[in-house]
Amino acid sequence: MKTDAFATRRLLLCLRLFASHYRHAPLQASAILLGIMLAVTLLIGVYATNANAKQSYGNVSELLSKQASVSISHLTQDTINEAIYFTLANAGFDAIASIEGVATDEQGRLWRVNSSDIIAAISTGLAQDEQASSSVASVNIPLAELLAGQPKVLMSASQQERINKVTNQSQTITLNNIPLDIVTIDEQWGLGSALLADISLAQPLLNMQGKLSYIAVFNADKSETDSELITRLTHTLTQAGVDSSQLRFTTQASEGESLSALTASFHLNLDAMSMLAFVVGLFIAYNGVRYSLMKRQKLLVQIMQQGVDRRTVMLALSIEIISLVFMGCVLGFIVGLQLSQWLQPMVALTLEQLYGAKLLPGNWQWQWFAQALALTLSAAFAACIPMLLSLVNTPLAQGAQKQPQNKQFNIIHRRQFIIAVILLLLCTVAFAFTEQYRHSLVLLGALVVAIPLLLPQCLHWVVNLLSAAMPKGLWQYVVAETKEIIAPLALAMMAILLALCANIAMNTLVGSFEITLKKWLDARLHADLYIRPNPNQMEALIILLAKDPKVEATYEQWTVDSSLSRAKTPQTQVPINLVSRDHLSLTDTTVFKTTADNFWPAFTAGHSIMISEPLSIKYQLNIGDKVQLSQLQQHTLTVGAIYYDYGNPKGEVLISQSLWRQSPLPTKPFSLAVNYQGELSTLQNNISQQLNLSSAYMYSQQRIKTEAITIFNKTFSITVVLNSLTLLVAAIGLFSACVMLTQARQAPLARLYALGVSRNQLRLMVVVQMLFIVLLTCLVALPMGALLGYLLIHKVTLQAFGWSIAMIWDWAAYGQVVVIAIISCLLAVSLPLYWQTRKPLISSLQQEAL
Amino acid sequence: MTSVTGKKVFSISVVTMAFATLLFACSPAQEAHEPSTTISNMSAQSSAGYSDVVQGKVLQFPRDHLAHNDYKIEWWYLTANLTTSKGEDVGVQWTQFRIGMTPPTEQLATTENDWSSNQLYMAHAAVTSKDAHLTAEKWSRAHPKLASVSPSPFTVHLQNWQWQSQSDDLFPATLTVNNPAFHYQLQLTSQQPVQLQGDSGYSSKSADQAVASYYYSQPFIDVTGEITRHGVTEKVSGKAWLDREWSSQFLTKAQQGWDWFSLRLNDGSTLMAFRLRGDTEQDHFYSARRMYADGSGRNINSRDNPGDIDMQPTQWQQTALGKHPIAWRISINSEAIDLTTQAVNPNSDMLVSTSYWEGPINIQGSHQGQGYMELTGYR
Repeated sequence: MKTDAFATRRLLLCLRLFASHYRHAPLQASAILLGIMLAVTLLIGVYATNANAKQSYGNVSELLSKQASVSISHLTQDTINEAIYFTLANAGFDAIASIEGVATDEQGRLWRVNSSDIIAAISTGLAQDEQASSSVASVNIPLAELLAGQPKVLMSASQQERINKVTNQSQTITLNNIPLDIVTIDEQWGLGSALLADISLAQPLLNMQGKLSYIAVFNADKSETDSELITRLTHTLTQAGVDSSQLRFTTQASEGESLSALTASFHLNLDAMSMLAFVVGLFIAYNGVRYSLMKRQKLLVQIMQQGVDRRTVMLALSIEIISLVFMGCVLGFIVGLQLSQWLQPMVALTLEQLYGAKLLPGNWQWQWFAQALALTLSAAFAACIPMLLSLVNTPLAQGAQKQPQNKQFNIIHRRQFIIAVILLLLCTVAFAFTEQYRHSLVLLGALVVAIPLLLPQCLHWVVNLLSAAMPKGLWQYVVAETKEIIAPLALAMMAILLALCANIAMNTLVGSFEITLKKWLDARLHADLYIRPNPNQMEALIILLAKDPKVEATYEQWTVDSSLSRAKTPQTQVPINLVSRDHLSLTDTTVFKTTADNFWPAFTAGHSIMISEPLSIKYQLNIGDKVQLSQLQQHTLTVGAIYYDYGNPKGEVLISQSLWRQSPLPTKPFSLAVNYQGELSTLQNNISQQLNLSSAYMYSQQRIKTEAITIFNKTFSITVVLNSLTLLVAAIGLFSACVMLTQARQAPLARLYALGVSRNQLRLMVVVQMLFIVLLTCLVALPMGALLGYLLIHKVTLQAFGWSIAMIWDWAAYGQVVVIAIISCLLAVSLPLYWQTRKPLISSLQQEAL
Repeated sequence: MTSVTGKKVFSISVVTMAFATLLFACSPAQEAHEPSTTISNMSAQSSAGYSDVVQGKVLQFPRDHLAHNDYKIEWWYLTANLTTSKGEDVGVQWTQFRIGMTPPTEQLATTENDWSSNQLYMAHAAVTSKDAHLTAEKWSRAHPKLASVSPSPFTVHLQNWQWQSQSDDLFPATLTVNNPAFHYQLQLTSQQPVQLQGDSGYSSKSADQAVASYYYSQPFIDVTGEITRHGVTEKVSGKAWLDREWSSQFLTKAQQGWDWFSLRLNDGSTLMAFRLRGDTEQDHFYSARRMYADGSGRNINSRDNPGDIDMQPTQWQQTALGKHPIAWRISINSEAIDLTTQAVNPNSDMLVSTSYWEGPINIQGSHQGQGYMELTGYR
């Protein structure tokens, strides 16, 4: 008992000692905390964003209501007759009539309008879940006005804020020339970014009188399976004389799954980025811990000499790390959730525009904190235990003497270099064999570990080379000292190297992609105006265009949702867009990746098809493969060509016009493209007036290009933001390492000053040393960043999205990151130098040496 | 006289039920800011803009079987005491409510679109036996294809729940209600004239006649048909009672709730009786009508015949909804009636958007028989 009490007292004593150490050196404590905090912030920020998005896919629910079991839409058209809904409702099915459409505001911006029978939506939602009432009880919907078809739309508070920024109007919005009042409702209703109108307003607003987009059907009896429900629906409709073979029945479960599958690569990329940022943050924290231990080496030996046993010291150090990690995690968690709040709208936009996925507001969970804490703790211990052990096991006889550390570090750095080279070689070989983006990402991860390990040894070699060339005297001293500070700066440099490489790689990817996309758009778009009217207006539009003498050419496009399967495995269906265009459009605007020999005759004869590159890569379809399409089951078709498609991550199949016409597919084109001799706006006005067609349905070539690039920029904004954050974290890490190091070097600098080296010379010396190391790191980052960029473009993006991109190197972007690194380094050096000049020489001389 | 339900829900601002809370409730602050938007607002307000219930108006049939969209609230309400082929007593209820969302003076935005409407329909259905009380609810806006009350032939429907008559008259008719848990289809016939409640259909709801409704009943309906509960179908037969009522304001602010009885006595007569509860015993308002098959009847109420009607709870039951009086002693001296009533199933809560207690009862005392009881405003 007594020994226990003594042990506890000794432990407490140790802890008090360490605490007062940090009180005297707050910079060390804050560097460690900052590192952990930044690591956890980025980890949690992205984690929360991702978790929320993934959860949203699972709970795709009808607006104001609950998750439907089955949704019914038309197989080949945009709309279904509302009579189908009446049939189902009057047969007792729990169903909601829904409309989706696009409306345009006065400035020509497009708004997505969702609409449903609000009474059915709310009452169905309630019947399904009594508890929903408590969470949404605060809502105040102007039901009477909505039902009466008054011009009012519902919008979530966050969406309204966004709209305020765009339109400068808070309470009204004019869509398709109808001024609408905006009613803001609680986020918990899960409206996301949709505008919700009652069906009585939406039908006239979207010119869909008597029509619906789809019907959401709910499973009243929980024991009934989705397929049983579909059978019952089909039976009811057939009895009512509705041709149910023209309807598509989609189960909600399958919709959620396909959405998850489609977005998986996007989320994996985000995850990978957050891990990178986490690692960079940990580098900084580790650097801080190591530095603070190095500063306490003498102290530790002293307390052990005074009789504190090694176990107690070890325990005290562990408790110290745990408490620092805990504090850092709490701070990081809080800031991370904030970050996620900020990232989510960005992610939501990307997902909505790229994949049509709606995001719901989510809640954070305690488990995330536990996971982050566990991850950080294990990483911290894995990194620190060897160092702790070696410290605690220092022979007491060595006393408080400074150890000859350099030799030890040289060995470590050499080992690191060897490991890095082996890793690099392994990755190079393995990359040749990867087909899946997940594997490629793992290899990329290994590479990311290898790159910084190369750095210290490279720095050593360059400095050794330099020292031979330097004149004797002060310059020799500078080089020798540079060599000595490589070790303490190595970790911060590794972190900045990682961030620089990632940044260079990402910038290369985004830049290259943008150029490829623009080139592709130039080739793909050949007409002046693209028009997509409502299906019922198509005929009138064709007649109108035929009458106009200035119309040079009209091109037609047909599109339906379909699914594709290999002839050998017909049970595996892949959802695709089935498309056809007129022959001229096909020959003029398709940018081929590869074609089979003698492709065109086989294609026009209806024997072979073209598939988009994403489809070919995702499902490993190649020239010559036999496939079947759901609407053309009597045909077995051959893949005859693969074309580039950067517009759509979903697979696309092109068939010839003649094959389309022979098949049971809609005869009316889905969209038209027009070449026009004359003012395009005249044609647009003419169509608008004569057909009452909103300009939202007409796109000039220029407008498509501009919008495509806008969407593209939004798609990558999240990755660019994360990357910049990582760079920022690394810059902060470099700053804190430089500050600590320069402060530690006050004594030798003061000695040099006392020996007659001028302050200016000293300043120059310190700046040159630091800049030299930073510039060398940037130099290493150049080839390594290019390598990462190459792999991101030619392996990960290609495999994940199916887009092959020509790599284009961007010197300006590289220069930008180098400048950021240099600036943060200069700032970090000048601050301690400034402090030093304000202190009396004697106090600097008395500073404990490194 | 299911009015209590309707009334309670729409005129008392403390709405505790789920749907009402969700759909109609708003905080007092919001009410102050947003006039005329939600139902709770409407119920808290006077019936401004809607038509008033006036004494002396002559009800005309079949016209008055149809909806009166210029009044705020209206219902078609049937209760039935039936016996299955196995001899089990079963109570059946069906009510379709109409709620006017805005006064008739307010124009609709688009007249061409059938979806735009200022009328909302809600329907409740229940099947009650000694051991089980099954309930269901449906909502829809008024829409010719989804929910409406229409003539030629007379039809009241909300999707697949409907009262389908063979003519413009109420009877003969088929009442169909379909649900996952239960459904029923009842053939309804009646040869008797309808009974106008109160003063020729003008039914006072308070001693000072501040609030009233138009109210008529058909208490003599013969029923045959089928009831299916949890997949088991049984033939049923028995008697039913129809109530029709509409108004723009039912309760005074001081009134808290409603105890309503429809009683079928073994001498061939029927009795409708209700009590509107005020703050104290003295504030209660009683009203009743003894009715005979030939269409004749006699009205009694506590304003014109003070002390004649006495209604006292004799047994209370705590249900999920609240503490309810499930047994009563009802006496009307001038009619030589002195009865005790007992609920067939004490747990007959209608736990729907607008919750209340409603179920079949048995009658003992000066007369024997069966009937229905509706209790609202108990917590």
